[in-house]
Amino acid sequence: MTPFPLKIVTPDGVCYDGMAQMLTVRTIGGDLGIMAGHADLVAPLGMGRATVVIDGQKRYAACMGGILSVTGGRVDLVPTTFEWADQIDAQRADASYQKAQQILSAKDASDTDLALAEARLKRALVRKNVASMK
Amino acid sequence: MAGVSTKEIKARIRSMRSTRQITKAMEMVAASKLRQAQAQILKARPYYQALRSVIDDLAAGSDASSPYLYRAEDDKVLYIVIAGDRGLAGGYNSNILKLVTAESQGKQPAVLPIGKKAVEYFRSRNVPMLTTIYAQAADVSVGDCFSIAKLVSRAYLAGDYHRICLAYTVFGSVLSQTPATLPLLPLQTDPSEGTGRQIIYEPSAGEVFSAIIPEYLGGVIYGALCESRASEQAARRTAMDAATQNADDMIAGLSLKYNQARQAAITQEITEIVAGS
Repeated sequence: MTPFPLKIVTPDGVCYDGMAQMLTVRTIGGDLGIMAGHADLVAPLGMGRATVVIDGQKRYAACMGGILSVTGGRVDLVPTTFEWADQIDAQRADASYQKAQQILSAKDASDTDLALAEARLKRALVRKNVASMK
Repeated sequence: MAGVSTKEIKARIRSMRSTRQITKAMEMVAASKLRQAQAQILKARPYYQALRSVIDDLAAGSDASSPYLYRAEDDKVLYIVIAGDRGLAGGYNSNILKLVTAESQGKQPAVLPIGKKAVEYFRSRNVPMLTTIYAQAADVSVGDCFSIAKLVSRAYLAGDYHRICLAYTVFGSVLSQTPATLPLLPLQTDPSEGTGRQIIYEPSAGEVFSAIIPEYLGGVIYGALCESRASEQAARRTAMDAATQNADDMIAGLSLKYNQARQAAITQEITEIVAGS
């Protein structure tokens, strides 16, 4: 497969800068795959698993929030958080999952608490899912 | 030395020494925090630049129908002001607050202060504040920046404010920090850059804008926060360095006076003994 330049930048620094053969990310409208020669595109990212194919090797990551942009064949992925599968703390994700479940099942939780817990649950689920793929 | 006894001078030297110890300690704390803040800037800068270039492309390639791109009125301005929590940082707090006051002359300004000093300043001047929950600049996290961005873009879309500006301190180097304001909304576009390129928006242009703008603002606010934090530490370090040096000078001057006074006392004693024999 033809490689294309890919750059992944988060507020915590540059996660990847180099060539890749394929990129799959979850946008707000669903999963989207990018290969070399893609038309110019801008899409906001949702929460989900990202797959990057580098030298024929698949690498998985948890990718949440942010923007994907393709300009003139160059791909910029600018997520709020991006964690490669081997960087994820599965135990922490599990604890976060339990905690979120607890809040969601509580009867007297306020709307903001529920919304926060829901987002937390989603993040934990994505992390757990990605961590199990490594 | 007439008038001042050696005992008094000694007491002053002692108090000066303890002041010097404090300023020296503050300088060293600021220097170590500055190193952390500089490392954070280096990490956050590529993110900010990537965001910026995506938004520039987006704004240049789209029509001006989005409220994010164009708004005729400009009298209600919201300033997001990033200052520090504590004083003793040279002109860091007063410079940024003065700049905002000067710029907002003749408009109907409102502020979203970040940092205790900013909250106190605008409260005493009765400037309306959107929220004061971010009073501790040191505690504001990346997540908080995105919450601020969401809050601000909602207020902007609702028409509560016509312009959104960000006031922060640009970290030039350890020795130079300049306060600056950056217009955030409506987005600044350069019409000459309209390339007419076809960009695919997934799922639609409107949805892309409303999802991306808060992300972008959050990123910019986080970047500015990192710059401001580093500037604060650098300003404090410089101020405390100057204070330590002043203390050194004063201690040297006082030691000289002390020795002179001591010498004068001895000379007088000898004169008295010689005269008495």
